[in-house]
Amino acid sequence: MIHLMLFTLLAGQAPSSDAMQHMQAGVEARKQHQIDTELVEFSKAAQIDPNSAEIQVNLGSSYMEKHDYGAAIAPLKRALELSPDLPVAHQLLGFALLAQGYTAEAIPHLERVGATDALAIAQTENGQLPEAVANLRVALEKRPNDPDLLYYLGRASGLLSKSAVDTLLTAYPDSARSHQALAENYFVLRQLPQAEKEFQEALRLRPDLPGTHLELGQVYANSARWPKAEAEFRTASTLQPGNAEAAYRLGGSLLQQGKAHEALVELKRSNDLKSGMPETLYSLGKAAALDGDNATAQQSWLKVIELEKTTSLAAQAHFGLAAIYRKQGKIADAQREMQEFQKLQSTIGPPRSE
Amino acid sequence: MLGRFTRRNFLSLVGMVAAAPIFEVKQPRGLNFILQNSPTRAKFLIETMPGGVALFDYNNDGLLDIFLVNGGKITENLHDPEQFDRSNPRYWNRLYRQNRDGSFTDVTEAAGLSNAGNGNYGMGVAVGDYDNDGYPDLFVTSYGKNILYHNNGDGTFTDVTAKAGVAGAGWHVSAGFFDFDNDGHLDLFVTRYMEWDADHNKICGGEWHTYCPPSAFPATTCLLYRNRGDGTFEDVSQRSGIASKKGRALGVAFADYDGDGFTDIFVSNDGMQQYLFHNNGNGTFTECALESGVGLTSDGKGLSGMGVVFQDYDNDGRPDVIVTVLPREIYALYHNEGAGGFNYASLEAGLGALTSSSSGWGVGLEDFDNDGWKDLFVAQGHVLDNVQQIDESLRYKELPLLALNHNAHFDRVDSGLTAALAARGAAFGDINNDGRMDVIITTLGGPPVVLLNRYAGNHWLGITLRGTRSNRDGYGARVQVNGQTRFATSTGSYASANDKRLHFGLGSAEKAKVEILWPSGTKQTLQDVRADQFLEVREPEHS
Repeated sequence: MIHLMLFTLLAGQAPSSDAMQHMQAGVEARKQHQIDTELVEFSKAAQIDPNSAEIQVNLGSSYMEKHDYGAAIAPLKRALELSPDLPVAHQLLGFALLAQGYTAEAIPHLERVGATDALAIAQTENGQLPEAVANLRVALEKRPNDPDLLYYLGRASGLLSKSAVDTLLTAYPDSARSHQALAENYFVLRQLPQAEKEFQEALRLRPDLPGTHLELGQVYANSARWPKAEAEFRTASTLQPGNAEAAYRLGGSLLQQGKAHEALVELKRSNDLKSGMPETLYSLGKAAALDGDNATAQQSWLKVIELEKTTSLAAQAHFGLAAIYRKQGKIADAQREMQEFQKLQSTIGPPRSE
Repeated sequence: MLGRFTRRNFLSLVGMVAAAPIFEVKQPRGLNFILQNSPTRAKFLIETMPGGVALFDYNNDGLLDIFLVNGGKITENLHDPEQFDRSNPRYWNRLYRQNRDGSFTDVTEAAGLSNAGNGNYGMGVAVGDYDNDGYPDLFVTSYGKNILYHNNGDGTFTDVTAKAGVAGAGWHVSAGFFDFDNDGHLDLFVTRYMEWDADHNKICGGEWHTYCPPSAFPATTCLLYRNRGDGTFEDVSQRSGIASKKGRALGVAFADYDGDGFTDIFVSNDGMQQYLFHNNGNGTFTECALESGVGLTSDGKGLSGMGVVFQDYDNDGRPDVIVTVLPREIYALYHNEGAGGFNYASLEAGLGALTSSSSGWGVGLEDFDNDGWKDLFVAQGHVLDNVQQIDESLRYKELPLLALNHNAHFDRVDSGLTAALAARGAAFGDINNDGRMDVIITTLGGPPVVLLNRYAGNHWLGITLRGTRSNRDGYGARVQVNGQTRFATSTGSYASANDKRLHFGLGSAEKAKVEILWPSGTKQTLQDVRADQFLEVREPEHS
């Protein structure tokens, strides 16, 4: 496609007749997918007429077809010396330079032709992270499920985040936010005692630091210190009564301690704040079943199944429904749910310990 | 306001005031055993799994004696067929006779128990009078061959394994005697963990270099032996349906959960679904854990099932199940709802908060404070000796869990132990005959820990069953005392055997009503039984 475009774009520039013969032979070879012949013909044309931008671009393009990006760079640069505004030469040179790791050099060429996706990748590699994230978002609007673009968006966002945190830690090492950021790193690394210490220091400096009580609660939850986890989640929930996550975590910690009714209240509140969250609905069903509210349990788990259909959470919901029906003496219903549970287990793997 | 001040509130207050621990940690004189599990860098999985302990009165002198199962010597170049140097006294199983002053004497050699065979790495122990001669016999499980020791009644034992036909093969862990066909002769159930040998060992955890999870090895079947009544056993694993289910069985416990008069079997499996074998009463069993609600957690997930106890924790007369597991799970409590169904009740009972970061092995439901409610004790310690490096929130050595039962809700109290242990087996019994239940725990690479119960207050009753038409130990009988129920068995916990006497806390009651339903079907009632005594109850010869 690029080659047909090249031919059209460069049609106005006339190489010498000998060179033209070789170039036409090269174009014919390209049509026949004879890459080696094509490269030979364009090389001969370039030797005969080194001042034709058209020949240089075709030669560069041939090298790129052979994935020899290093060799492509010289003819493409020569083409731009001869014809500085040639868009296709900028585009190909930008790609070649990016492929060879010359990201800074590639960027102006890619900017010039508006190759947003390649530009964003070059910017990511070149450390221009805010620009990269913006361009990747634009590129993803056109190709939402492109794995390369998704990967680079994740990478650029992560690097941007790290860069911001590094700046924070360097500029304000004793700030509450610095301690919070350090704690988050420790939490990811499962170094819970260190995470706990840093979150506590952050809260000592700023007792109402948004998000920190919730995070400290998760440290306690991960180390099974449930009363402490409950206390932190409760504080988080009091500071941010509109935070569905805080209510969900509080409900979960209450449930873990067997405080079924209190858990049910919080999980209902979480579901009201943000409806349609399968995990919340599943826990809500669990709390309701534990509290003897079988109607709510049934309703919640049916909703989970509706939302999830074939996931392990849906399997768990079928299993929970079976237990309710068994207790109610609805044997046929219980058997049906168990069959659904077992059917899903057979597709997603046998039940194992957590 | 007074009406809202419940017994549970009151007991919580009492718990806060009475801070003294229930147990005194003892190292009784003469009890000089070290459990040789022989850990190596090769991480042979058997190293982390022993060992059992039995509390039983082998010489009928009225004092509980102690049998401790030893592992064996393991070297890094161990190959199939493995040799564990069990002829070396360091690796012997040991029998300690209790003396009148509370000390113990090692009588292993004199009793004829000194060598368990070089090919056998010891795991667990079961106790039962399989020939109804009035003397408790020993069954020792191993990786390798099991051994049945007949108690000769003169302080010695004879290895009768070959004649009895119960050697088995593979990796056996827990075992128990019970009478599945109610013919008056104790039968034998043996769990097998997985298909494993030294040549097929694996190391997991990448750079952490850890023992592998059970899923890395093929599952296998358990063994059921029917006692023919002539000193021999018949392997009925296939015929009974027990061998129809492959698992990774570690623990076993018995009770008649559906009240049909036949003892059922609960098997705790590691890393998968649990098994409940319903006794059909015709020599066969049907595995029905899923349908009965005891196979998985309430989330439909499997369990790292290790120890198990099958007794009634909420005094409703029906046996419930507690399974001990690994961290990130919760010890599973299945409440028996009647009509053959169970409900996962760990959270209601308080086990969610108490157990989600612990690894449980030996487990018992015993009334340690004699208040009429069975309390929970669990021997704890992680499988992986380097778990703390992998997850800082976990520990290889843990304190045991002691949780008092307050109206079917468990609350942690101080056990009295201050040093964490890599605990495995645990057996429960009244070691010093003071009317309070004591505990003995085995520890990997260390000595056993004896916890003597010093709780003051409340009355009690200890009952020894003497079957006549039923098996002599009365295993399988349902005994009810002042609204509490126990199912007579020495099996449960992990790889261990408990005092066969049935202990009941009576609270402030000075008299008790005792109702026994014997395996023969005979019902027996004793009124106005005086508290604070050990009572032997003989089964009526005629119903």
